[in-house]
Amino acid sequence: MKPTRPRRLPHRGWQLIGASTLLLACAALLAMRADATESAGDLRTVDQDVQALKKELVDLNRDLFRLEEELLYPASTQVAVFLSLNVGTFFALDSVQLRLDGKEVTNYLYTQREVEALHRGGVQKLYLGNLKAGEHELVAVFTGKGPHDRDYRRGTTVKFDKAVGAKYVELRITDRDAALQPEFAVRQWE
Amino acid sequence: MSASSAGRWWSLCALAVCAAVGSVAAVASADPPSDLPPPAKIRDLDYGDALFHFFQDDYFDALVRLEVAKGAGRLPDHAEDADLLAGGLYLSLGMHTEAARRFERLLARPVPQSVSDRAHFYLARIGFQRGYLDQAARSLGRIHGPLPGDLEPERQLLAANVLMAQGRYREAAASLEQWPQQGVWTHYARFNLGVALVRAGDAARGRQLLETVGTMDARTDEQSALRDRANLALGFALLQERQPEPAAVALGRVRLDGPFTNRALLGLGWAEADAARPERALVPWLELRNRSVVDAAVQESLLAVPFAYARLAANGQAAEHYRNAVAAYAAEARRVDESIAAIRGGGFLDAVLDAAPEGSNEPQSVGWLWQLQKAPDAPHTRYLYQLLASHEFQEGLKNYRDLRIMQRNLARWTGSLEAFDEMVVAREAVASMREPRKAAALAATDVDALEARRDELHARVELAASNRDIAALATPDEAAHWRKLEEVARRIDSLAPGAQRDAMAERARVLRGTLAWQLDAAYKLRMSRLRSALEETDVALAEARRRYALVEQAGELAPRNTEGFAARVRELERRMASLQPRIDATAAAQERLLAGIAIRELEAQKARLASYATQAQFALAALYDGAASGGAR
Repeated sequence: MKPTRPRRLPHRGWQLIGASTLLLACAALLAMRADATESAGDLRTVDQDVQALKKELVDLNRDLFRLEEELLYPASTQVAVFLSLNVGTFFALDSVQLRLDGKEVTNYLYTQREVEALHRGGVQKLYLGNLKAGEHELVAVFTGKGPHDRDYRRGTTVKFDKAVGAKYVELRITDRDAALQPEFAVRQWE
Repeated sequence: MSASSAGRWWSLCALAVCAAVGSVAAVASADPPSDLPPPAKIRDLDYGDALFHFFQDDYFDALVRLEVAKGAGRLPDHAEDADLLAGGLYLSLGMHTEAARRFERLLARPVPQSVSDRAHFYLARIGFQRGYLDQAARSLGRIHGPLPGDLEPERQLLAANVLMAQGRYREAAASLEQWPQQGVWTHYARFNLGVALVRAGDAARGRQLLETVGTMDARTDEQSALRDRANLALGFALLQERQPEPAAVALGRVRLDGPFTNRALLGLGWAEADAARPERALVPWLELRNRSVVDAAVQESLLAVPFAYARLAANGQAAEHYRNAVAAYAAEARRVDESIAAIRGGGFLDAVLDAAPEGSNEPQSVGWLWQLQKAPDAPHTRYLYQLLASHEFQEGLKNYRDLRIMQRNLARWTGSLEAFDEMVVAREAVASMREPRKAAALAATDVDALEARRDELHARVELAASNRDIAALATPDEAAHWRKLEEVARRIDSLAPGAQRDAMAERARVLRGTLAWQLDAAYKLRMSRLRSALEETDVALAEARRRYALVEQAGELAPRNTEGFAARVRELERRMASLQPRIDATAAAQERLLAGIAIRELEAQKARLASYATQAQFALAALYDGAASGGAR
């Protein structure tokens, strides 16, 4: 048997099959394109509906959030404690414990993602609560890794006066370059 | 096109299109939404709080907190930053219309150039995403300075993409050549432009760009995937131009364990076959035979392998492989039918989301950032890799997923709102019980009278001080003695003059002088103590006045506040109740649409499998025919 004959047959078959496939595919492609155009229009309509619903949900959440805050933490008694980082190369934050007038109100353990958010300029609302007008004492204990990767635990205390309006206290972790040590500062906002 | 390879060219065209499709999606996936640089120093803590959530990709929470703080007037020092961030967050959450409205509103007022530049950039991005190319180009043209951080290369990429989408390839290429950066953005732009030029007919320049990307030093998985994609596109472009040798080189650069491996192996086989080396074409094609038949490249290899055997005159093996192919296509067609039935059975999108990689359904990944990482191997999704990876489908899927997250959000608030309602009712009850006690306490307290008495005391003390009236500060006993001595003096004066009266007068004078001396000696200390006591009285009265006012105010405000809260709770309940069914209906509509698209895609795949099966049967018949003819001869 000569090798040329059987080899030519598949070639011719391939050519015919290819041509028929091409026709089939073109027809299918045209049909799909018509369907696709219709689907794209429907998808755009649904997308508009979804956008409108999302906007309504954002507004609803905003109003619910505001109601919750006004109901649970009215401005006359509201006190909020924030935490921020400025550089923070001498201290890797693990956790913070907050005590208000001798009572523990927060014991917060940080994830890597949260610490990164703080490094990038985010400010965490660490505690939101209510206090009567008058003098109060806040103690914050920071735990983490200090210089040379050593375990580090430092506390800071602040006495503050709570007046009629909302009281904001910011705990700020900064670097004290001269001493190569972290510094824990407190700032009061009215 | 040679007579021997018409079918192959269809395959090449299809795969070349597949390789090119998603070039923009590649850029979109590299598009970092966290591109708003924080201000050097946070001056409003609530703005920092929103950033804290934003930097954790928790866009929805960040946006809500930002809107709350803005509404409460707590962002006085970051008003423009907050508007810009809010616009970016709306964009990130897929709300293009609201995002555009925010940026346009920001630009309508005088803002620093850095702010207006960023707002124009985001408007350009929205315009491009929505296909408004002229609008996108206009917005890009209004950017005056370089943008901060990663935004600048992204702006350049966006400008090149807009030019490409407008068909202005030469200008896009020229702008690309001016880029000083050699980062990942440059490679994305080169890839997009290379593909666009090849498709537009300028193959030489397109290939040159793809070659650059295909030979770059890839340091990350993302860069490796882009390099593979460039090599795949380049290889198929070269195959179309009948240049099998360089095509084989490009396709050989594709990694053996990447998402483009199967298509590269198929193309590599075609390159070898086109170079008249069918024995070498069998190597990658036989490798494909061992892979999952779900993949289109693997399905096509089932035809390619016997084709190569036939070219090698190994007709027995060719026939056997054709028969295997027919059986495999029939089995796959049955599985495609199962998939279609599963989708028609409902729960299609939930099945896709359930099968998605762990963590990708977390609420914080809401919005356009979320991408389905790979097609899950489930009856609903087995054959839909290409479809699931398409931008349009993913957008629809994200919408569906966002709707599900919205339903969970509403469910969570429903519980809270019930608690708020109970709290308001309890407060009203407490207020109504407290009211009579308050009224009695207020009625029994006359701060005005106390203040009048305080004022009178002040006046008396000041009068005594101005006259140095030492007797005014006498103790009750001393005052009685003082009065008695005055009475004695008056009686002595009324006596008849004489020695006795003089002696009595002298004794009274001495006694009075002694008492006056005592009073004078004590005057300074007594005056000081009196003034201190009066000051304390002032403080105590001021406190009493403040407390009285607070009690009075609380009495007036408490009922009104609880009524206000109750009305707000009712209004919010109404809005939630209205939103819930619309979310459900939209989710159902989204599912119907995507299921329809998926079924059409599966039916097309079924048609392709049927076509492959026909080709295999036809080739098999031709082989038998040849064998019979040869035998007869």
